[in-house]
Amino acid sequence: MTDDWRKRSLKELYRLTGQIFSQIPELARLWGGAYQALNFADVPFTPLRKPLSACRLALITTGGVHRRDQEPFDMSDPHGDATYRRIPASTPLHELTITHDYYDHSDADRDLNILFPLELVRHLVNRGIIGSLADSYGFMGHIEPPHLNTLIQQTAPEVATFLKQDQVDAVLLTPG
Amino acid sequence: MGLIARIVENAGISTICIVSLKAIAEQVRPPRTLHLAWPFGHPLGEPGNRIQQLAVLHAALQGLVPAQPGQILEPGWRWRREQYTLPEGWG
Repeated sequence: MTDDWRKRSLKELYRLTGQIFSQIPELARLWGGAYQALNFADVPFTPLRKPLSACRLALITTGGVHRRDQEPFDMSDPHGDATYRRIPASTPLHELTITHDYYDHSDADRDLNILFPLELVRHLVNRGIIGSLADSYGFMGHIEPPHLNTLIQQTAPEVATFLKQDQVDAVLLTPG
Repeated sequence: MGLIARIVENAGISTICIVSLKAIAEQVRPPRTLHLAWPFGHPLGEPGNRIQQLAVLHAALQGLVPAQPGQILEPGWRWRREQYTLPEGWG
């Protein structure tokens, strides 16, 4: 009972602050400046050795994008949901939706390209500017322990393996 | 998001992140970052503004190529107060 209440209040707090930060970026920046994220000294790096016109690109977003026929992200858990949804390269935009309560996605609901530029990338592939588009992946941002560990140990490496199998050269990542 | 980028990059794939909070990117240190101090939920800009969206996409994809490890690119574009031009040949 108490746990349930705590879960609900925490989730409501995240939802409210997320909506406020969406409206007032200056506040979001203040929060970002104080936020203790995981801190790394090193930077992994793979140089891109092909021109864009020969590259196979994939998109990853943490904005909670998924196909309407896929299970929505679990918004009932205030610690987040570390699972992902595979989004085939040819998915029509009207088959996609967003499940994520911690930012204002009303603009992205109207035009998904501002968050998940699937249609723009397909246009650039048709124009020969980008080599090809591989299947993309939707995650939900705002993942806390213990799910952070699942993301780092399991789900993100799984997606990396799929991207590698799919011979992807480059990935564009966009947040919510 | 930066964590996912690091894991994908470690697997041998080049990544670029578009972020709105530079302070977090400075901690997580994704391999390549394009920072735009814009509201949450709008990494490529405003709905219906295709030229703006393509300009951001262009900046991000350009950022894949010569970037140094951990580099944060900052075009400095202000929210709703810029004129964008279509990247050449992208129409």
